[in-house]
Amino acid sequence: MESISPLYSTPTAAKQRYSPPWADLSIIGIAGSSGSGKTSVAMEIVKSLNLPWVVILVMDSFYKSLTPEQHAVAHRNEYDFDCPDSLDFDVLVQSLKDLKQGKKANIPVYSFAHHQRQPQTTTLYSPRVLILEGILALHDPRVLELLDVKIFVEADMDVCLGRRILRDVRERGRDIEGIIKQWFTFVKPSFTKFVEPQRGISDIIIPRGIENTTAIDMVVHHIQGKLDEKSEKHSEDLRKLGQIALELELSSNVVVMAQTLQFVGINTILQNPETEHVDFVFYFDRLASMLIEKALDMTIYVPVDIETPQNTSFRGLHPSGTVSAVAVLRGGSCLETALKRTIPDCITGRMLIQTNARKEEPELHYLKLPNGIEEHATVMLLDPQISSGGAALMAVRVLIDHGVEQHRIVFVTCAAGKIGLKRLSTVYPELKVIVGRIEEEREPRWMERRYFGC
Amino acid sequence: MAHEGAESIIPSPAQGVGPLYQPDGEKPTATVSKDMPYDNVHVLPQTPQLIALLTMIRDKKTGRADFIFYSNRIIRLLVEEGLNHLPVVEQPVTTPVGRTYLGVKFEGKICGVSIMRAGEAMEQGLRDCCRSVRIGKILIQRDEETCQPKLFYEKLPSDISNRWVLLLDPMFATGGSATLAVEVLKEKGVPEDRILFLNLIASPSGVADFAKRFPKLRVVTAFIDQGLDDKK
Repeated sequence: MESISPLYSTPTAAKQRYSPPWADLSIIGIAGSSGSGKTSVAMEIVKSLNLPWVVILVMDSFYKSLTPEQHAVAHRNEYDFDCPDSLDFDVLVQSLKDLKQGKKANIPVYSFAHHQRQPQTTTLYSPRVLILEGILALHDPRVLELLDVKIFVEADMDVCLGRRILRDVRERGRDIEGIIKQWFTFVKPSFTKFVEPQRGISDIIIPRGIENTTAIDMVVHHIQGKLDEKSEKHSEDLRKLGQIALELELSSNVVVMAQTLQFVGINTILQNPETEHVDFVFYFDRLASMLIEKALDMTIYVPVDIETPQNTSFRGLHPSGTVSAVAVLRGGSCLETALKRTIPDCITGRMLIQTNARKEEPELHYLKLPNGIEEHATVMLLDPQISSGGAALMAVRVLIDHGVEQHRIVFVTCAAGKIGLKRLSTVYPELKVIVGRIEEEREPRWMERRYFGC
Repeated sequence: MAHEGAESIIPSPAQGVGPLYQPDGEKPTATVSKDMPYDNVHVLPQTPQLIALLTMIRDKKTGRADFIFYSNRIIRLLVEEGLNHLPVVEQPVTTPVGRTYLGVKFEGKICGVSIMRAGEAMEQGLRDCCRSVRIGKILIQRDEETCQPKLFYEKLPSDISNRWVLLLDPMFATGGSATLAVEVLKEKGVPEDRILFLNLIASPSGVADFAKRFPKLRVVTAFIDQGLDDKK
C-alpha cells in the first residue's frame, strides 16, 4: 500500500520528507457476532505479536450520543445498538485516516451509563498495528479501504447468546429478561442483515475464535512480515536521506557554538576518559548551560521600556510567550540540570526514543508532552548527541504532529555529525539547531552513559 | 556595530536585536551597549537573550529574588567569556570512543577578588563556573574628608602574584574603587596583564579612563551605558 505522508507547515516546500514508521500503520479489522469472541481473538493477536505498538480500538467508542428520548428508549432495552446507524462512521474513518498518515487521532470516549459521548477524548498516536474490533468492523466501505487484514470471527449463535448473557449480567449488571428481549429484537435480526454479510468480504474467517490457534498464527505471521518490510523501508529511507544530505552545505538555521578556548577546553575535559565522574557532570552542566542560553536567542522577544533605579529609561526586551522543553530520553535528561539553572520553572515534556540495535531503527516508546504545547513560543528539544539523525528526525516529527510549528522548535545538542544535521535540515528546513561541536560521523552515544555513570 | 567614540555624550545606541533568523526589519529594537574603541574592553555580544536579562536586572520593579537570579545568569556569561582570555596549551585526548580530539588545557591558576560589597554578589556566579576557586576581598570606601576612595581592608591569597585575577565589581561608574583595587593588586605583585575585570554595567567615560590607565588589563562587561553616570 502506498503511504501518503503529509508535509507539514513548510512554506518553502521541503524537497525531502521523513515518514515515521508509524505512518501507514497496519489495521486489522475484526468483525463477528456479539459474543463470537472477537475481543479474545484481538487479545490473542496482541499477545502473540508481543510488540509495544499494538493497539485495540473498540468500535463502541464511536457510538453516537443519544437524545433524551432515545436514552429513555435505550433504558427500556428498545434502542437498536446493533444497526450501523447507531455508529458514527464519519469520525471513525477520520480517526483511521489520521493514524494512517502518522498523525495523532482523538478517539471519543463513550459512556454506556449515559449513552453520551464524553467531553474528553483519548489520544492515540504512533501505533504500528491497530486492531479495530466491533460487530460492524467490516461494514463501511471507507473503513474496508483502510484495512490491511479483514477477519470475521464465527461462532455458533447459541454459544454467542450464552456468552452475551454471562457478560452482560456479570459486567454490565443487566437483567436476563432485558438481554434476551434485546437479543431477539435487535441483535439477531441485525446479525442476519448487517453482520453476516461481512463474512463474504473478509480475508480470513476464524471459526471457534480463540481456540483456533492456526488461524491466529497466520494473521500474526502476516502482520510480522508487513512490519519487517516497513522497518526496512524506514531504515532505507533514512539511509537515502543521508546520501542526499552528503552533498549539501550546513543550513543557516544550524548554529554551531563559537569554538572559543573556554569551550574547547571544557570539551577537552569532557572527552578525556581520565576525567572523574564528578568533574564530568560539573563541566557538562556548564557546557549545557551555555547551549541553553544560546538557544534562548532563538525565541521571540518584544521591546519594552523600563525605568532603571537611577530613574533613566531603558529600551529593553522581554521574551514573549512560553518557552518549554522536551527531553529526548534517556540522553536528553542530561541537559535538564542546565535547563533548570537557566529557566527554573521550565515546562518539560519527555519522549523516549531508543534505537533498535538490531535494525538500527529508532523507536518511540514513551511520550508525554506538555498541555498546550502547540501554543508555546519556542519548544527546545534536548538531546546531547545527534549521530545519524534518525532519533532526531523522529523527535521533531512527533512535535510537529502535536501541532508545534517547525520554526518554533530549537534542537539543542552538545555534539552532532554533519550528515545527521544535514538530514535534519533537509527534512525540516525551518528547524533551528544549536550544536556544541561538530563531531565525526557515526559517533556512538556515549555522553549519557558518562553523565549518569551507567 | 560601529558607533561614535566613548567621549561623545549621546544616548546609548538602539538597534534591531532579534533571533538570527529574523529579517532585520522584523527584529524588535532595543538599546544595546555602546561600542568602545579600546582593544582591552570586551563587551559581550548584544544578543536578544542578553538584552532580555539586562532588562530584568535594570528594571527597578524587578524583585530581589529575580534580580539575583538574572544577574547570576549574566555573571556566568561574563565568567565564561573572561576565562577565554586565559592561556592554554594544546592537549589531544583519546575520547571514550577511541577517537582523537585536538583539545586544549588551561594553564595557570586563577583566583577571584571581589570589591566589597557589591562585588560579593558576583561570587556565586564565579563559583558556578569554577568550583573551588579562591576568592579574596578588597573593601574600599569613600573617605568622608577627602571624598577619595580609600582602602579599608584586603584579604588576598598569599600566592596571588602567581595567579590570574578575576576582579569582580558589577557596577562601574567613575571607576574610583576599581582603579584603587587594581593598584592594590599590582602592589601585591600581580602583573597588569593577568587581571581580568568582570563587570555587569559600566559607564562609557569611566571605562574609557580605566582602559587607558591600565592598557594591559582586560575589561569584560555585559553593557556600557550612558544611564550609569557619576552618581551610583
